[in-house]
Amino acid sequence: MNAARDLPRLAAALAIGAFALLPTAGLPAFYDSFFYLVFFWVSLSTSWALLSGFAGYFSLGHAAFFGVGLYTTAVLAAKFDVPFLLTLPAAAILPALLAVVIGAIVFRLRRLRGELFALLTLAVTFVIATVVLNTPIDGGGGIFMSAVPLPSLMATPTGTLYLLAFVICVSTLAIAWKVSRSRLGMGLFAIHDDEDVAEAKGVPTFRYKLTAFALSAGIAGIVGGVHAMFVGFITVAGTFELTVPLYVVLMSVLGGSRSWFGPAIGATVITTLLYSFSSGDQAMIGRAVVGFILIAAILWLPDGAVPAIAKWLKPRRAASVRTGADVAPAATPARSIGDRNMLEVRGVTKRFGGLLALGGVDLDVREGEIVGLVGPNGSGKTTLINVISGHYPLSGGTIALDGVQIGALPAHDIAHRGVARTYQIPRPFANMTALENVVAAATFGGPVRKPAEIRDEALHWMAFTGLSGKEDVLPAGLNLHERKFLELARALAARPKLLLLDEVLSGLNPAEVDNAIRLVRAIRAQGATIVFVEHLMRAVVELSDRVAVLNEGKLFALGAPREVMRDPRVVSIYLGKAYAA
Amino acid sequence: MIERLGAWRRRGVLAGLAAGAASLAAPSILRAAPSGKPVRVGGTLSLTGFLAQTAAVHKIAADIMVEEINGRNGFLGRPVEYVLLDDQSKPEMARSLYEKLITVDKVDLIQGPYATAPILAAMGVAQRYGKVMIQSSMGIPKLQTYDRAFPATPFGPEPDKTYPNVILDAMASIPTPPKTMVVLTSKFPSAQFMAKGMQKEAEGRGVKVLLYLEYESGNHDFGAIAARVKEANPDFLWVGSLGLESNLLLEALRKLDYVPKNHFHLYPAPGPLALSPDGNRALCSTFIEADEPFMSRPGMKRIAAEYKERATKINLPYTTLDAQACGMVSEWQILEAGVNGADSLDDAKIAAWLKAHTVETLLGKQRFNGPYNHGDAGQMIKQVQNKEWKVVWPKEFAAPGVKLLAS
Amino acid sequence: MPSATLLGQALISGVLAGGMYGLLAMGLSLSWGLLRLVNLSHFALAFLAAYIVYELGTTWHVAPWWSAALVVPAMFGIGAAQHWLFDRFRVNELASLLITFSVAVILEAGIQLYWTADFRRYETDYATLSIKAGPFFIPVLELALCLVAGVLAWGTWLWLRKTFVGKALRASVEDADIAAAYGVNHKQLAYLLSGIGAAYAGIAGTFIALIATLAPAEIWTWLGVVFAVVIIGRLGNPLGALLAGMAIGAAQSLAMAVFSPAWAPVVSFSMLIIVLLWDPEWL
Repeated sequence: MNAARDLPRLAAALAIGAFALLPTAGLPAFYDSFFYLVFFWVSLSTSWALLSGFAGYFSLGHAAFFGVGLYTTAVLAAKFDVPFLLTLPAAAILPALLAVVIGAIVFRLRRLRGELFALLTLAVTFVIATVVLNTPIDGGGGIFMSAVPLPSLMATPTGTLYLLAFVICVSTLAIAWKVSRSRLGMGLFAIHDDEDVAEAKGVPTFRYKLTAFALSAGIAGIVGGVHAMFVGFITVAGTFELTVPLYVVLMSVLGGSRSWFGPAIGATVITTLLYSFSSGDQAMIGRAVVGFILIAAILWLPDGAVPAIAKWLKPRRAASVRTGADVAPAATPARSIGDRNMLEVRGVTKRFGGLLALGGVDLDVREGEIVGLVGPNGSGKTTLINVISGHYPLSGGTIALDGVQIGALPAHDIAHRGVARTYQIPRPFANMTALENVVAAATFGGPVRKPAEIRDEALHWMAFTGLSGKEDVLPAGLNLHERKFLELARALAARPKLLLLDEVLSGLNPAEVDNAIRLVRAIRAQGATIVFVEHLMRAVVELSDRVAVLNEGKLFALGAPREVMRDPRVVSIYLGKAYAA
Repeated sequence: MIERLGAWRRRGVLAGLAAGAASLAAPSILRAAPSGKPVRVGGTLSLTGFLAQTAAVHKIAADIMVEEINGRNGFLGRPVEYVLLDDQSKPEMARSLYEKLITVDKVDLIQGPYATAPILAAMGVAQRYGKVMIQSSMGIPKLQTYDRAFPATPFGPEPDKTYPNVILDAMASIPTPPKTMVVLTSKFPSAQFMAKGMQKEAEGRGVKVLLYLEYESGNHDFGAIAARVKEANPDFLWVGSLGLESNLLLEALRKLDYVPKNHFHLYPAPGPLALSPDGNRALCSTFIEADEPFMSRPGMKRIAAEYKERATKINLPYTTLDAQACGMVSEWQILEAGVNGADSLDDAKIAAWLKAHTVETLLGKQRFNGPYNHGDAGQMIKQVQNKEWKVVWPKEFAAPGVKLLAS
Repeated sequence: MPSATLLGQALISGVLAGGMYGLLAMGLSLSWGLLRLVNLSHFALAFLAAYIVYELGTTWHVAPWWSAALVVPAMFGIGAAQHWLFDRFRVNELASLLITFSVAVILEAGIQLYWTADFRRYETDYATLSIKAGPFFIPVLELALCLVAGVLAWGTWLWLRKTFVGKALRASVEDADIAAAYGVNHKQLAYLLSGIGAAYAGIAGTFIALIATLAPAEIWTWLGVVFAVVIIGRLGNPLGALLAGMAIGAAQSLAMAVFSPAWAPVVSFSMLIIVLLWDPEWL
């Protein structure tokens, strides 16, 4: 076991050592600069993938950060005589700051996802390029670096640049590897799949995106800083051209942009291909051949090389997955309904433009209680869930959880404080296995624990919801019933004080409904307070301690289920769709 | 010749070979076929990518010259082999491919690429390995800071001061010399460099610059710029253009029903501008045209004919030997002269010889002992007359009967 | 301060020049929005069409509209063929980027092999015609381009909005299964749409031959601005693409008239950023 784990590390260490010493091996200097360019593209495409591959924020603006770093070094070194190596930190920091500023504005706006983010980053590139071109930063004449001394870290200048690029490349890969295995990475992958759900499950999405963006931009910047010396003569047209964003995208796609190592593979393949056909006689033919090879590669490996290899290796790995049915329950024993209010909703209003979705709702939920939330379509049930969980900001009123005001907090913070929710239409993270889904929810929702503990607990909740054996299945491979239960498992794994269930029963057949009702009871038996939205009156009556009826955004009735349901006013708002006892 | 086989280091044997391009005119009967291990001369051209428009021009010229040289004595009696790589218009590719040529392919000599960025990238490599590098198309001489780099095109050390005065002299010679002008330039380093000089020199000589405008290199949309030029209505329009920018600008002006009075274009694609209905009487920078008196220069007729044939064969739209192609020819003539003059393939010796001598090239006599290894400026003015380029200034280089036509 | 004539003229030129962005963006917008395929080869196809129109015009003296009658159906065929490849290999959005990029590279190499990399210019008698309207001049060729683009965009928009097939197509983007349940053959429609997109490239190419610079590397010069136009105009909305193209063209042109022309991209793209951050309700 240990040897198996150490072997790749040893191999990696040896490879790193061998590569680091390559310039001293007596190979022709060309190989230094060839590998320099491989490292250059590996670093750039990997750094792009940190935000765009991992978190799915597709950026076409990588040239902006690369270019800012490049010009930072060029201006400081060539115009202000700052020693080259001292310019590199600035070349990393400035683009990172730029990313933070852009991100601080853009990441707050929910609408700027997908193509609009790509467009925005592209526009930023154009703006920065034009500013650099028309101000004394460049001015149009280009910056010539020949007078800038290059420190002799290696015997030759190219060797020195090789070494710098190599260090950056290894660091970038190490960062990508570390991130992909960290809490940050898990959060980013969750954001990639469904950002709203990630936030509701406790992922501090804003901070994570900002971190990834800054890392991505900082790496691109320092790569640019070194590249300023490699190119020697810097022009705006040659720096902010579309080649950089285009190539990093293509390299990442070819290798697999969600994998930490994918972009590196793609970058190596494409850079090597570009060199393979540099002979003057077949320049055009060479370009066309590169095109055909790329087409063949991506048709054969549509998700990229690394995921394809991983898929091929999968059957062997699956066998080693541990089943967790024997894990002891992690929840506290059953409690009766307490006197304390777990949830206090006071005068909550929510407006969407001119539409008043909630018009001053008051509702107290006691500790350990199950409150059913019913009402006709459009009465504001799901909106209330969405405001309590922080998905929508409040327009007015207050919400307190266990005596603490949570109304103004971001959703992930509310999740940390013990509110978990499910979605009416299950929204699992599509590219994570069922187990990973539950692990992510446990990691971000529950208390801080060791990864092994989290995993055991996740396995426990999967067993609890009857999903044992489905650990390695992607959500697309689960049926609706299983996906609904996966929603529950995710919510439970966060060890919530308050569980908000949004129509968990809809779409299930009668047997599955019975099963689900038993499950909710079991959850309550473990001590959670539950608010659930439901249309199925049988379940409402069977499960609820009290029922709250919402109508037109207001609390219409509240009380014991059977009494409320017999209330003629309640019956009338259902227009004959009343509970048929 | 046999004793020279594989013995190129025996420089003594080779001493006394005629230097310079005088041999260009030598009758073929005196040619001796070079033999032995080839002298490999490496270089890149931007055969693909965004600078590729003129790659074919350079390649044809280089191929012709390699054959010409091999038809004579090769280099020191050995055949010359041109190892050409494609830098894909990227300076980082140029840099690494020159490293490949020098350290992997182990070429004996190198030739420069074209366009400022690849040239400077290659020059850095040449400097590290002490190689002589001759280039033909860098419009900003002060960037050529390496003492073994030589220009094959006579820009002179300060073309931004000298050439504007050539233009202003020409303009002063027409019946109504311009009092006002508009300077319009692409923000391409070498064009902008010249435009700034033009603005300064014009103001120094009392020509009022009504507008100085810079546009992004590769701009497609000249409507608004044309409207501004029309409104300024200068006596003289100077455009620091590249490629087809001049065509697009002149068309945009025509669409506004405006024909500029006198107009000059810096580095336009020669064919399209000459053939454009709006190109008539357009002025343009040049160093040589396939016309008298240049046709009488040694080798010119032969090279021009050969060039036309090859350019037609590969379907080039403009098949007349132009200044760019001649720059490449000159590059090889200078290298040949340097090798023969130094009687060696040693870069230090070639560089020393070149600095101390004058070389006869298609672009005239060139020396390399001025600032940045540049010599005398030889930039001229040509004009479209009846859809053909004619050198019109300085007068002594105009073909008989051709003169500068004012608009 | 620039005169009203200058501003008016710049606006006219800009809007008409923006028509080209719009025309190029329309086909891209259709395949991106309705097929989820980002077709980078769209630009290469447009230039291939432009070169063919140029070749027919200069060598055989075929009028560009006759050339277009030949080129546009051919492009339709190429578009449909390309879709066969995507369909056969179930290509996703990201992979489509890589494939169409490669197709563009191959086409670029092919164009350079046949026509060389040197600049080409197709001279016609009517390239510089314009109509005088008061103090302003309206270039005829650009006007024709905008009219053609307008008719195509409007027609396509109506087709997508009003006809059963169009609605089905838009529905199938949301959910192919639902569309199939209504008896819509999504696959056939995708071929049709892909063909139409490429046919638009053919039409754009015809105008490129008459208006713009021909060189193989020029394929890539429109990429940035056209991408922006596609997204501003909303994916899958040809009318939006055309209007967005004209808006960007007008902004650039006005900026060139008022400021240093080299600053123009800052003006138009800052405007774009501000619009994105401020009120994208119509986006």
